[in-house]
Amino acid sequence: MIDIGRLRPTLRRIRAHVARVGLLLITAVCALGAEPAVAREAPHFPARAGLDLAREAALSWATDARLVYVENDEPLDSTGTAERWAYLFHSPSLDRLRGYSVRDGKIVVAENLEMKLEAPPVALEWIDSEAALAAAEDEAEEFREKHAGHLSAMLLMRGPFLEQDPDETTWTLVYTAKGQPSLFVVVEATGGRVRRTWRG
Amino acid sequence: MIVRGTRSISLAACLWLAAACAPPPAAAAPTEVQVERVRPAKTKRPTLTFLKANRAFIRARFDLLRQRPGAAGGDAQAFDPRFLTYGDMLARTLAAKDSTTAADDAWRRRQLLASITELGDLESRLEQMERLLSEQRGRLGVLQADFTGRQETALMVLVSGWPGDAAAVTGVSIVLEDGDTLSVALSPEQRESLRQGGIVQVAHTFVEPREQVLEIGLAGPAGDTAFLTLEPARDRLTLLRLDLSAVGSGRGAAGIRASTWLHEAGIDPTDG
Repeated sequence: MIDIGRLRPTLRRIRAHVARVGLLLITAVCALGAEPAVAREAPHFPARAGLDLAREAALSWATDARLVYVENDEPLDSTGTAERWAYLFHSPSLDRLRGYSVRDGKIVVAENLEMKLEAPPVALEWIDSEAALAAAEDEAEEFREKHAGHLSAMLLMRGPFLEQDPDETTWTLVYTAKGQPSLFVVVEATGGRVRRTWRG
Repeated sequence: MIVRGTRSISLAACLWLAAACAPPPAAAAPTEVQVERVRPAKTKRPTLTFLKANRAFIRARFDLLRQRPGAAGGDAQAFDPRFLTYGDMLARTLAAKDSTTAADDAWRRRQLLASITELGDLESRLEQMERLLSEQRGRLGVLQADFTGRQETALMVLVSGWPGDAAAVTGVSIVLEDGDTLSVALSPEQRESLRQGGIVQVAHTFVEPREQVLEIGLAGPAGDTAFLTLEPARDRLTLLRLDLSAVGSGRGAAGIRASTWLHEAGIDPTDG
């Protein structure tokens, strides 16, 4: 015969212990859940702000490294800044490409790009991503409003999207919308003039 | 005798290096760096996603920019023999010009010495040369400021400590994350200096200013590797010291005691 009255204090202790362990588990889960949120927070910056650091790293990789391509690595905001930008360099002597991804004033990714890309170096002077976006916004307004489109990528390079003027360094802004062909807006990276738009 | 002298100089140099590279007592305290047996895992972040996703399209666009041979035929045609004589005529013309220039110079020199009034002109020329020299000194100052005054991101690796003869280390290799490998064999003189408490510099190289994992390899009877994570400061010289004295205690390369600090002293570009 089990005496329930004598067991009751023991059961209470076990219940309290279980409650404490549960509380600890919830705290731990909250802490684990909160950590990536803190890690995600980093200041947005325009493309040019990370270039010096990336170039310095590229020159330690190859003294003849030349910037050939820039792309946002994280979503862009409405002013043309992003949390992370990627800078791709080409070394003619090594015949290799190496990219650096800059976030919060630090290089967080450095990797060789194993692909053949005969990209010419971009011009030394180019307008920053904020100015390029401001220049393109009028062209993209209708697409954004009509199709609930948004800016998904900004690419800086020289040549490929402006056949009639292949020496021009340009920003190409890619707007996307669900179920719609993307809108490409090509902006002169020296003067800030829209040179071309197309859907595809 | 000469060999002994060289060895003494080498030992002295290593011991001097030990003193020179020792971190300043207060300015830059060394920071311990954790040495691990396995390569630390790093968070993988996607990069250049648009380029990678559309690589065929973008490559095709760049390919359109390349020059292609036209449709015109490339048949060889007969060469006009007169063209061959033009080069010879040009060489003779230049030779004649050299002769007249030399005669003209000689005549000018005689005129200069003959005329006392032209000494004033000589003086002005001397002043002009002095001015040119002064400008050149200024340009050299700019070059010196650029190339000796501005430190680029660099890493110097120093080795100290001796693990004992049973675990003698005959060489050290460092593999950087960008794939560069620096391998240095330790000469008998360098090993002797390590035994006596000296420090040996095994690498001095430019590095990317970012957090990176270095693979340290020890050559010797019990060759082994270990990993450490380092973030060289931008535009600074980072010194990394690998103390091998605990390597012989059975821990292998993971027994390396690593510490790092920044080189504080700069170079005065106006000096000299």
